[in-house]
Amino acid sequence: MNDKIESEYVEVGDIDTEAWNEFAQAQGWSDGLPMIAPTEAKVARFTSAVVADNETFAPISPRQVVPTLQSLAANAVMAGCKPEYFPVVLAGLRAVLQPEYNLHGTLATTHPCGQLMLVSGPIRNAVDINCGSNCLGQGRRANAAIGRALQLILLNVGGARPGDMDRATHGSPAKFAYCFGENEEASPFPPYHVRKGFAASDSVVTAMAAEAPHNINDHASNTGEGLITTIAGTMSQVGANNVYLQGPCFVVLGPEHAQTMARDGWTAETIQEALYERSKVHVSRISRENLESWAGQDRHPVADHYYPASSPQHINLVVAGGPGKHSLYIPSFGNTAAASSRINLPR
Amino acid sequence: MRIVNPTFGQSPAGAETLKSGAVDWAKDPILLFSNSKPNARELLEGLKGRFAGIRSTDGIDFVWKPSASQPASAEQIDGAARRYKAALLALGD
Amino acid sequence: MAAYVIATETFRPLVLAQAKARKVEPRLIVVKHPVGGLNAAELEDRIETAWQAIRGFMK
Repeated sequence: MNDKIESEYVEVGDIDTEAWNEFAQAQGWSDGLPMIAPTEAKVARFTSAVVADNETFAPISPRQVVPTLQSLAANAVMAGCKPEYFPVVLAGLRAVLQPEYNLHGTLATTHPCGQLMLVSGPIRNAVDINCGSNCLGQGRRANAAIGRALQLILLNVGGARPGDMDRATHGSPAKFAYCFGENEEASPFPPYHVRKGFAASDSVVTAMAAEAPHNINDHASNTGEGLITTIAGTMSQVGANNVYLQGPCFVVLGPEHAQTMARDGWTAETIQEALYERSKVHVSRISRENLESWAGQDRHPVADHYYPASSPQHINLVVAGGPGKHSLYIPSFGNTAAASSRINLPR
Repeated sequence: MRIVNPTFGQSPAGAETLKSGAVDWAKDPILLFSNSKPNARELLEGLKGRFAGIRSTDGIDFVWKPSASQPASAEQIDGAARRYKAALLALGD
Repeated sequence: MAAYVIATETFRPLVLAQAKARKVEPRLIVVKHPVGGLNAAELEDRIETAWQAIRGFMK
């Protein structure tokens, strides 16, 4: 972060909430929903919540400007965050700014990817992030505001304006807010961030440029083997970027599916390996033109199949959600990474 | 009411506008650079054919990004800047 | 090196904005959208449009 906190101020006059929102919409600062005005006093409460955070930020694509804490906090205020959410938002930003994330590509693309944020570790409960029923849906302020804050930062500081630098053909509801917590308490597997090498006491945000979740309904399979068949079948898609470009994806196991698989002896690692192998797509399902295009890029099938993930480890497995026989498949932009960043918390 | 500008950011150090010189299209080395989307290469090949009418096509080379969804590498861009006087970049969208 | 970008009219704002962000003077050759998905005969129109624009830069 800069030694000197710097920001610009805008005098908007003595206006009410409605007039403020009209003003903000006219400036192009909004995602379409009403926002809270980022007054100096509100922004100061947020910056004081991260006063111990001295890590610098890289320039944000596509505008290529270096953010200041105050401009980032202004967006978190506008999104409806509480000050204690702000460290989570900053960790999310640091995750998407990692070079392997390919932020510029994920924002300028025609593909409908939003910035998925998975929160792991103790902060989930401290700031009330929903990890259970409807964790990717509406209803919980932390999920909605944290996910929205990152999107607003990329819009306003990054400059990813729809129709201008954000060239998505359709976009996605995932581009409003896309944040959820791992249901560590209901998971039979070690937490996601621990499997990635972080300490269990760390709180971590993992981001991925992701399509909206695809549901995996399986009420009948009562074995791990049966569930693997259904999940792999859902992942085996032509038309998703993963089959074009490979890269990472997420499989979000509902706790009931996860418990069934663990009961039958499956571990996170053996699930990843099985899904990698069984989600491959046979060449007969791919158009002749695509096969020719891929061959021109020196990309060839392996034993007549294309794999939608780069490796078993690129299938990011996490347990989240509440009761019910559903899991989720979340394809990515392809040329991106599931990038993790530890949350810097005040001591 | 005074608010903090949510779009504020600082320009990275050394970010000055780059300028380039004039091109002699009949003689200077030219690079055709595809963004690897379908038809970008075909479009550039069509232009290479047009250039044949005004110059030898020696000195016209063709490169492409490894993937449409990734930026060209710094090495690829620096190498191009060193060797060519002009680049035609085709976006096949 | 002088860089000339051939983009469709639809992607013109993106190219201009990115050029500005990267402090590059944009030299834009705009062709009708789309380029992807065209057959050879359809693409010929885009090639000719781009070529005429390049001829314009030669003057």
